[in-house]
Amino acid sequence: MSRNLWLNLSIALVLILIAAFAGRLHKWNWHRPSQQTSHTSREREETATDPGSNESDSSKTEVLVRFRSNVSRDAIENITSRMNDEVEDRIEAVDGLEVIEDEDNRSADEVVAQYRALSEVEYAEANSEIKLDHEGAGKHVHANDELFYKQWGLFNHGQDGGKPGADISAMQAWAVTKGSDQVVVAVLDSGVDYTHPDLAGNIWTRPEIIKQYEDEDLTSEGAVDDVHGFNVVEDNGDPMDDNGHGTHCAGIIGAEGGNETGIAGVNWTVKIMPLRFMDSDGAGTTKDAIEAINYVINRKRAGVNVRIISASWGSTIKSRALEDVIRKAGDEGILFVAAAGNDHSDDDAKPHYPASYDLNNVISVAAVDRNDELTSFSNWGATSVDVAAPGQQIVSTWLNHGFEEKQGTSMATPFVAGVAALVLSTNPSISIAELRTRLLNSVDAVPSLKYKVATGGRINAAKAVVSK
Amino acid sequence: MSPIDVAIIIKARSDLARRLGVDENEIGEGEVEQTDFPDASLGAPLEDEMSAQVITPGWRIHLKAGGETYEYRATTRQLRLVNFQGRNYRV
Repeated sequence: MSRNLWLNLSIALVLILIAAFAGRLHKWNWHRPSQQTSHTSREREETATDPGSNESDSSKTEVLVRFRSNVSRDAIENITSRMNDEVEDRIEAVDGLEVIEDEDNRSADEVVAQYRALSEVEYAEANSEIKLDHEGAGKHVHANDELFYKQWGLFNHGQDGGKPGADISAMQAWAVTKGSDQVVVAVLDSGVDYTHPDLAGNIWTRPEIIKQYEDEDLTSEGAVDDVHGFNVVEDNGDPMDDNGHGTHCAGIIGAEGGNETGIAGVNWTVKIMPLRFMDSDGAGTTKDAIEAINYVINRKRAGVNVRIISASWGSTIKSRALEDVIRKAGDEGILFVAAAGNDHSDDDAKPHYPASYDLNNVISVAAVDRNDELTSFSNWGATSVDVAAPGQQIVSTWLNHGFEEKQGTSMATPFVAGVAALVLSTNPSISIAELRTRLLNSVDAVPSLKYKVATGGRINAAKAVVSK
Repeated sequence: MSPIDVAIIIKARSDLARRLGVDENEIGEGEVEQTDFPDASLGAPLEDEMSAQVITPGWRIHLKAGGETYEYRATTRQLRLVNFQGRNYRV
């Protein structure tokens, strides 16, 4: 052989070795735990949602597989390799939970069946329930927040005896949008601890171009310096929460997501407008509720993009005045999401207000548990209650910069308000009628809710953000 | 949930004695039970009162006077008298 031929063969061999080594590096990159954990969730999310990335090719089948706790990383790699699949991502919040991408064009059912047959697998399920037909198709985004593993309402993988998938599909929704700071949600409640570290960045602040709130009838000065909202109880501009309920509801809607702290809100980014009309005992008057809604309408007219009021309160007392002001809010383009009540009774027979007002801008919300069952306390109503949302064992922000678990249709309501805000983040000009229709037409049908709520379903964020 | 603070029962007895115009010694203590109330008004809203729709752990306190039984509802933060002469009261 000539010297040139030997030289060419040597170069070819080196190139082959480099290519092979690069291929291994690519695989190690996905499989090495240290590499994974060195990234923040936000970084992983960018990779996972990059439309141009081969790692998230939406044409490939993805399944969620949870391996048993005694199955090592090496064993998982061996299994997926044997199946000719790839670990597309790890869900760090849940031990052993992997997003696995099929490499040989099998259907989701086939891949799921294959994994379910393995003794090493606790469960396997398709990640294809929601057919996304645009950006975000087949993808998901998970949060690195410390308590995310407890947030079954956002991601139910069967923790604490729950039913996998009985959640609002937040991770799939986040592949499309994680919210917007241009959307303002009024939390009409006991105020909000606007200094809470997991909320502070998402609290609304009145822009300088918007004038102070003026109401001579309410305040001796005639104006309120409403920096972060309004306190109707004390007629001032400090809506600090001294009960905790409003702070809890605010966290469900918009605790900062992906900050490695506390929880993730339905919206990672949003603007919460705190309103205090209930006192430290969590009770307030109809008149103060009306004053607070009047404030929201005023701010909307002044140019604040407040499109949603979340109302986790109520009673069986019907007030024509409250109904009128909520109708007026609708006329101004404001959706009013309200709690169906916790008396385990039928709202069709015994209405619970404001949820039961038959208005075009009102959504009445019942509560389901982690098994997609109507909770033992929730009211229902085949015609007057619209939809259900997670409302039991809900962890969220609390007073003293803490976090607590609460239950009630109070907790279900901000899930729906939060999903409405997500929809608005990508559809800012949508009308309230369209928004309401979209939310109610995109539910997951749930057997336990048939004949219990008008839609027969639980809210689904992923479907809501992509449906037309 | 921790056992009820005796001070809450004392407060309820004092309130009932005042409303009935009798000596506190004439108020007998009935059953005290732990329970979950449906909302922040402890299922006993005042007229024109709206309350947070959150399940609220607390106690149901039964007091007796003049052959009648009266019901109070309490949490660590508040005390309510239920259906006294047709109305609920925050104490």
